[in-house]
Amino acid sequence: MLPGIYMNDAISVRIKINMKRNSSTKKEQQFWAYTFLFFPLMLLTIFVFIPILFSFVISFFDWELMASHQKFAGLNNYIEIFGDKIFYKALVNTVFYTIGVVPIQTLLALFLAFVMNQKIRGRAFFRTAFYIPAVTSSVVTSIIFVAIYSKEGLLNSLLGNLGIQPNDWLTNPKTVLISIMMLNIWTTSGYFMVSFLAGLQNIPASLYEAARLEGATQSQQFWHITVPMVRPVTYFVVVMSLIGCFQVFDQVFVMSEGGPNNASTTMAYYVYQNGFKYFRLGYGAAAAILLAGIIMIVTVIQKKYFPPYPY
Amino acid sequence: MRTIKIQKILFYIVLIVGTIVFLGPFIFSVVVSFSDNKNLINEPGQIVRSGWTLKNYAYIWKDLPFSKWLFNSVIITFFQTVANVFFSALAGFAFAKLEFRGKNLIFGSMMASLMIPGIILIIPKFMLINGLRMINSYPGLILPGMVTVVNIFLMKQFFETMPKDLEKAALIDGCNYFQMFWKVFIPNSKPAIAAVAIYTFQSSWNEFLWPLIATNTGEMFTLPVGMASLRYELITDWPAIMAGTFLISIPTLLIFVIFQRYFVQGIASTGGKE
Amino acid sequence: MVKSTLKYIFLISFLALIISCIRDKAKTIRFSSWQSNPSEKRLTDSLLHCFAKKYPEYKVKFELIPGNYSEKIQLMLGTHSAPQVFYVKDFVAPSYLRYDVLQPLNEYIDRDTSFDKNDFYPQFLNAFTKNGKIYGIPKDFGCYVLFYNIDMFKAAGLSEPPKDWTELEEFSKKLTKDINGDGKTDQYGIVVEPSIDKLMPFVFQNMGSFQDKDANLTLNTPEFQGALEYYYGLYSKKIATIPTDVSMNNIEEVFGRKRAAMVISGGWFVPQLKDQYKDVNYKVAFLPKGKQMATIAFTVSYSSPKENPLKEESWKLLSYLTGKEGMTVWTSTGIAMPTRKSVASGLDYINHPEYKIFMGSVDFAKVFQVDYNERWFSIAQSAMQAIFYERADIPQKLKQMENDIKSLRLKK
Repeated sequence: MLPGIYMNDAISVRIKINMKRNSSTKKEQQFWAYTFLFFPLMLLTIFVFIPILFSFVISFFDWELMASHQKFAGLNNYIEIFGDKIFYKALVNTVFYTIGVVPIQTLLALFLAFVMNQKIRGRAFFRTAFYIPAVTSSVVTSIIFVAIYSKEGLLNSLLGNLGIQPNDWLTNPKTVLISIMMLNIWTTSGYFMVSFLAGLQNIPASLYEAARLEGATQSQQFWHITVPMVRPVTYFVVVMSLIGCFQVFDQVFVMSEGGPNNASTTMAYYVYQNGFKYFRLGYGAAAAILLAGIIMIVTVIQKKYFPPYPY
Repeated sequence: MRTIKIQKILFYIVLIVGTIVFLGPFIFSVVVSFSDNKNLINEPGQIVRSGWTLKNYAYIWKDLPFSKWLFNSVIITFFQTVANVFFSALAGFAFAKLEFRGKNLIFGSMMASLMIPGIILIIPKFMLINGLRMINSYPGLILPGMVTVVNIFLMKQFFETMPKDLEKAALIDGCNYFQMFWKVFIPNSKPAIAAVAIYTFQSSWNEFLWPLIATNTGEMFTLPVGMASLRYELITDWPAIMAGTFLISIPTLLIFVIFQRYFVQGIASTGGKE
Repeated sequence: MVKSTLKYIFLISFLALIISCIRDKAKTIRFSSWQSNPSEKRLTDSLLHCFAKKYPEYKVKFELIPGNYSEKIQLMLGTHSAPQVFYVKDFVAPSYLRYDVLQPLNEYIDRDTSFDKNDFYPQFLNAFTKNGKIYGIPKDFGCYVLFYNIDMFKAAGLSEPPKDWTELEEFSKKLTKDINGDGKTDQYGIVVEPSIDKLMPFVFQNMGSFQDKDANLTLNTPEFQGALEYYYGLYSKKIATIPTDVSMNNIEEVFGRKRAAMVISGGWFVPQLKDQYKDVNYKVAFLPKGKQMATIAFTVSYSSPKENPLKEESWKLLSYLTGKEGMTVWTSTGIAMPTRKSVASGLDYINHPEYKIFMGSVDFAKVFQVDYNERWFSIAQSAMQAIFYERADIPQKLKQMENDIKSLRLKK
């Protein structure tokens, strides 16, 4: 889109006029830029920038909702968190959740996208079908899965046909977290599949043709062309699903409320619980800061050891 | 040739199994929502045999504050969508097309804020809104979601792809920058606006955590919060819960099916970058 | 065309937003409660109806709070959106009193000659009193008593309910049966629950308590441990069951569906027995005596927030609801017991075959209030669950629970 390409007399005249106005447009631009940005920036400042800074302030107080004076607590909240068994439990649960969900979800999404990228009929239908869980409210999908996982639910009756004993998936401490993880994989795989699909469509068809000429099988093509070529998309998908998993909340809230006996308490739920069930806002803010710190460290590590572009 | 054929068949099997897995739960819930028997949720066959009824929908609509929650959700989603489109277009335009002091700093700090996990915002945002006495009110629910950095970024990316001539022509025609934005750029950015609108619609409509925290009477609940509050109350009335969940999902499903193209474009354009 | 329509939509949206900001400031008393069953809903409706008839000049708007009631009220108090009159559970009252968010009512009580605060059982009024200031008027109370299945008792050759711990264990053993002879127990002596509030009566009966005179939690004392060992012993000796073992939701259901001969529950269970489990032939009795007679009482007050533009109006409603007339309406069906002596004798509950047990329990009932962050309760609860579900070692678990609660700065 170089201006030169379009250059003809009329335009060159216009540009000359434009050049004369240049000094005034700079000021004008500045004026309009600030006007345009005023409301968006004000909202972002109030609801994003200030809260980020404010959360640090809160975390140094014994901030309680109903109290009229807040007591300064120094580092007490942080010290207390490090002695809190539920914090470690939440941390372990969250890490387990993330390690379980992210790879399966990414591979499944890539695999589905790969299949869908073949010459098949009804692609639009399948894509829609796979994507629907991702656009549906998390509360809705969680409620549906509560029904499916319940003791008299669909899953148990399906498994019963295979001769497997019924299990109360969401009140059994051993299965509750895995059940929520399955739901998460089910929900977001379709979303990431579409990301991969977009990436796959950018791979030149000639690469596959060349491979085919050399006699490469489908699975060789998949591992040697598809996987390396979608690396940037994979990076994006992994980052997004890492961030999503670290902050999983809605499903936990609706399906198990962190129970039984904290078997499904995740970090985000822990923050919520301390802030809005026990009303210890300072303690909750401190926990949120620690969680945020962990997420940021993980994403930085990922960027360092698994960059989007290998070169 | 044979292996290719077998592979094709395998692909179709994968896709069909996938469809059953991804759509099955929805079909199950819709079927249950029409069921006449409150206890039947175990065997699909039984549900079909038990007789069909619309009374679960009637119950949800008449005996629960469903219509009030629907109203709240509509209001919040509407304002947030309109505001997001407008503000992100404004800001995106400024970052893409205008030169001003502090541009890099402002844009940089916006992008940096994306790095910070949202969970950190919940408590301070709650206290802020509470300080403004806006908990349990529409402004408290709407204001924090009126503008999002991702949308600004999307609009900026889009505007940057538009030819420079467009501005120059507008300037020569004597437009000021707002007129240029409003009369030249906005009409030419339907795909980006559609993407922002659809995304905001979907995320506002489905938003759970913030309305959960920012409301405390049943009257101010949004649909997801309301439905979640019924989860324990109606535990014995699955058909009614399922009727509610199906009703909530209709708008997002419709929008998704109609505007699928923009969804996919949006994902492709955010996903491809980095 | 499109542009101008867009513009208008935009303008209208903003106007609407501004209008919605302006709040409705009509003089309506907002009144909130929970409703645990349909009969409670009917009672609330009729009570408000009576009030509206008597005082047509006041408008009352009822707002039901579903879900975690106390949490929600606390949130509302903290966010300046509390209703004008609402229930306060005795259990959470201490923290409300300490934060000073409720309206002291002494001034109104003293002015209102018909109110007569001496009519109340003092321990219930005290639950909402601090430094002489009354922050809530107890509307009713309930307490744990023993429900027992007469038919099962007869079949086991028992005519009287157990009187003390030894009898409770002995009777439970006799009542635990494999009726159909398939090798599995069909009927248990008693149904228990891994829950701290169900355990507390036993702790008191064992001369223990949950806190010392400085209001520190004392959950690791010999008395507490003794009570827990006895309580858990019923279960470990397989003469008691817990709801999850028989795939049911709560202990009341286990009793109602005749899988257990005894259950410890409160007055709220009576309507359920009459509606849902009509074929259960039951009686109520005082809880068995340990070293002393004891039980837990639960009371709920009507209170108003300090931040309240309608103080006089709120008092009108509040004093009607807790006055002799209102309380008579409220407690007339027996779902809860009156906290006014005059109402109790007016309704003749003192001589009623069933209600006299509840009323009689007042003499030795303890109110369960702790001024700790709510989190202590969930820690204690999970310790109980660990003991029942995972067979954790009792002394060790109690020690650990005490340490957990101490390390978390939960005392206020």
